[in-house]
Amino acid sequence: MKPPSAVKIRKTPSRFKHQIPKYKVTRSTECINCGTCAKSCPYGVHERLEGHNKVKVPIDYKCIGFECKNNDFYCVAKCPRGALSISLNPMYETLGDYRWTADMITGTWIMAETGYPPERKDLEYNIGNSGGGFDKLRFKFPASIPKIDKSEISTEIPLNKRNDGRANIIISTPVYGGGMSFGSVSLPTMLGKAHNATNWNTFTCTGEGGYPELLKPYDDHVITQVATGLFGVREQTIQRVKIVEFKYAQGAKPGLGGHLLGEKNTESVAKMREAVKGSSLFSPFPFHSVYSIEDHKKHIDWIKEINPHALVSVKVSTPNDVDMVAVGSYYAGAHIIHIDGGYGGTGAAPDIAKKNIAMPIEYAISKVHNFLKDEGAREAMTLIASGGIRTAHDLAKAICLGADGAVIGTAEMVSLECVRCGNCESGRGCARGIASTDSELADLFNEEWATQRLTNMYHAWNVQLVDILYKFGMKSVRELVGRTDLLEHIDYSN
Amino acid sequence: MPKKYHIHSKVTPLDLDYVYKFKIERGENCINCGKCTKVCIYEAHKRGKNDPRKMADPNTVVCRNCFRCIQECPRGALEKSLDKDFLNIGGTYWKPDMFITLWKQAEDGKVPVTGAGYRGPFTGPGFDSMWTDMSEIVRPTRDGIHGREYISTSVELGRKLNHLTFDEKGKLLSKIHDTVDIPIPIIFDIPEDNLSPNVKIALVRAAAELNTFIVLHAADVTSDAKKYIKNIIPIISCEEIDNHQGLIKNARIVAFEYSEKILSTLPELKEKIKKIGNALTIIRVPAKKSVETIVSKLAHNGAEIIHIVADYRCMEINGSGDENRRLGKDIIRAAHLKLVDERIRDEVTIIFSGGIAMAEHVPKAMLCGADLTAIDLPLLIALGARLYEKPGKIIVLPEELEKIPARTVKQRIINLMGAWHSQLLEVMGAMGIREARRLRGETGRAIFFEEIDNDTFGKIFKKREKVSL
Repeated sequence: MKPPSAVKIRKTPSRFKHQIPKYKVTRSTECINCGTCAKSCPYGVHERLEGHNKVKVPIDYKCIGFECKNNDFYCVAKCPRGALSISLNPMYETLGDYRWTADMITGTWIMAETGYPPERKDLEYNIGNSGGGFDKLRFKFPASIPKIDKSEISTEIPLNKRNDGRANIIISTPVYGGGMSFGSVSLPTMLGKAHNATNWNTFTCTGEGGYPELLKPYDDHVITQVATGLFGVREQTIQRVKIVEFKYAQGAKPGLGGHLLGEKNTESVAKMREAVKGSSLFSPFPFHSVYSIEDHKKHIDWIKEINPHALVSVKVSTPNDVDMVAVGSYYAGAHIIHIDGGYGGTGAAPDIAKKNIAMPIEYAISKVHNFLKDEGAREAMTLIASGGIRTAHDLAKAICLGADGAVIGTAEMVSLECVRCGNCESGRGCARGIASTDSELADLFNEEWATQRLTNMYHAWNVQLVDILYKFGMKSVRELVGRTDLLEHIDYSN
Repeated sequence: MPKKYHIHSKVTPLDLDYVYKFKIERGENCINCGKCTKVCIYEAHKRGKNDPRKMADPNTVVCRNCFRCIQECPRGALEKSLDKDFLNIGGTYWKPDMFITLWKQAEDGKVPVTGAGYRGPFTGPGFDSMWTDMSEIVRPTRDGIHGREYISTSVELGRKLNHLTFDEKGKLLSKIHDTVDIPIPIIFDIPEDNLSPNVKIALVRAAAELNTFIVLHAADVTSDAKKYIKNIIPIISCEEIDNHQGLIKNARIVAFEYSEKILSTLPELKEKIKKIGNALTIIRVPAKKSVETIVSKLAHNGAEIIHIVADYRCMEINGSGDENRRLGKDIIRAAHLKLVDERIRDEVTIIFSGGIAMAEHVPKAMLCGADLTAIDLPLLIALGARLYEKPGKIIVLPEELEKIPARTVKQRIINLMGAWHSQLLEVMGAMGIREARRLRGETGRAIFFEEIDNDTFGKIFKKREKVSL
């Protein structure tokens, strides 16, 4: 696989002085400041500045941990006074959670910085700790690898499988960016996502907060969303894009409609949404004009009429009858059925909804894929999964279960150094400037930095995906769709 | 349209020694540059009050875990860890995070809303192994979130008829039983023994304001509580019925603890109560091994309301080890399905209590087959109480709780119930269910882990070796 020519990998370090350390390197009072450690550590944990007598306090986050003991430069062994020790840093426990472990966040940061999967062996960044779903699925790689040139492996997927005369859009990597509205995220975040989508010849989505004019250069790689609040929906923005998405529901808060709390509804956001500044904006649920599949078809026809070239995507969450909704969308004329699982991300949602409403995506993919197949509609629909696709491995597993590709949101945010603290909804928004329209916070990074971090992360995922295809002896990611025989579940035996 | 039910929440902070999740410590290499005061948007870092040249200790209370101070301190002088008190609170069922969210709800009465997706385990034991369904297109109202006023959360308590009978002329022959309506499917169960008078009366007054009930031992229905008797369910022993004629006459519902004797004399007991007043009767049954058999016998003997009481961790009582004890979800389902099989389910009301710890447990218990739930510990946690599961159940009440005005205590309870009520509306709204009554036993609108995992992965991977939740 050769990435699109616009994809250039550039090392793009963290915006912050320090990163969050997994280990704690302690220097005891036995230290005689001989400087052996500073000379031997190639990672820069120990430093003694020119002309200084004392060695500086160890920079924990640069340490690669216990695995270093096999190296001849291992500082703990090298220190003539035995003054150094390495332990797990208690701070690491405050980062991450069951779904997004600290290792997974750290691994994603390394990908966004370097453009490649981490070389460190001490990070389990492919699998989370949730104890179910993707975290219990493993690949069954064949013992002998058929020889394929990695550069011949294709990760392209088509988004229009209907053969209906509309654009035959092909994306270079089977992933695109999820809908995040102007209001929920900052402008640099939004632009970085769109710029990266352009680099990667894939897409990003506006979410339901309107279409900022600054996105114009990226029109061909933007999906504009028509959601239940109809915020910022205009004929001209529908006409300028290649894909229009109906957002029926969101996995994190199925059945509830979008939430933008008042404090985040700043002047510019309110203007875009044609709303009153400072008022909380709760989108209604559902579309007031859709109470049946026939109504749904009417909606899709409306978009097709306004934009005769666009593809139509339908985003739904994952209730028991998601398979029926998918088939209904096929009959209504949609090109893409995008299912968003119950554990998906959000900028603001009631905790009770995030945990409890609708099923995780792992089940829904299988359900929808099989039902579309049984109904003879699978070949005409593109099935996109989202809501809990955290890593390249999750992506490949989702494809094995039956998806054509995936939409990601949180992984993009983590690439921009989100720590998943979960405070995007309140006050001025994200303290780290990713999900905020506060004049000061939204200025913490620029589009260029965001674009490069995302482009790097997409590249690292692509490298991993190609590696998985290589191990299966496949020349295209399209061969992977529905191959559940290549998976195993650690709670089941065949 | 009937009058809307509304719970009047009001921000009510309590100056208590709460537990917080994170601990930030400032190292000795801090150079007092003040960078942290600039980067923290939550104001966790401030300069010293008395000596502004020095930094004050970090205010952990407001820390929201954004890591900016940690990452931007020029000296790397700040360290963060999980607070030890936080890690020790609760146990395997009452998780530390629950306390923080319950305290918050009691303070502001709001639905907890946060950013980012769900962070917990994929599935878990009991209620954690089920999801509620939602409805993409079919809705209760055409107004989405704004239409929630039209969702009714009220439930009915009492015995119902299986069917009506009429004579040849179409005249109704059946005698319709009395029932009691409450606007939320939650009543308060017996509070702990050692509560101070202000807390006890506040609980009673909160139940009255919410128009629900509180279950109290007859001996605890003090003279100042008596004026709220319409919202009190006194527990009376069969032997003492004559001593408590006044209570029984005025109460709308009375409760009795289950015994084998009560089972055989139930019709006589009901008769005796009816002679004194109109009160309905609840029989409280501990959730032991074969509780469904007892529930069934009681139902056939004419019980009106059966209250299944599990232990405080939502488990069967007196089981051997934790592994062999059924959890709330399965206890309720077993009792409900047995009554459904015996075609008597619609005639009785089932209350479930024990381990109802979060708002989500209420609709889940109902989906499994309970008509309503009863809660106890969350009421104390709302007041700042801490609970420890090990070595045994220990409740630590906040110091000087007895000095807090009953009005404040009451408002905290009201706030908590306001938040739970709103969350119930969220779940029902998403499901497209307009009446809480319709949640009962509606397992078609729930998604159970065992079933869906087997339906999905069982088909692909055949044999499930183990269930490690």
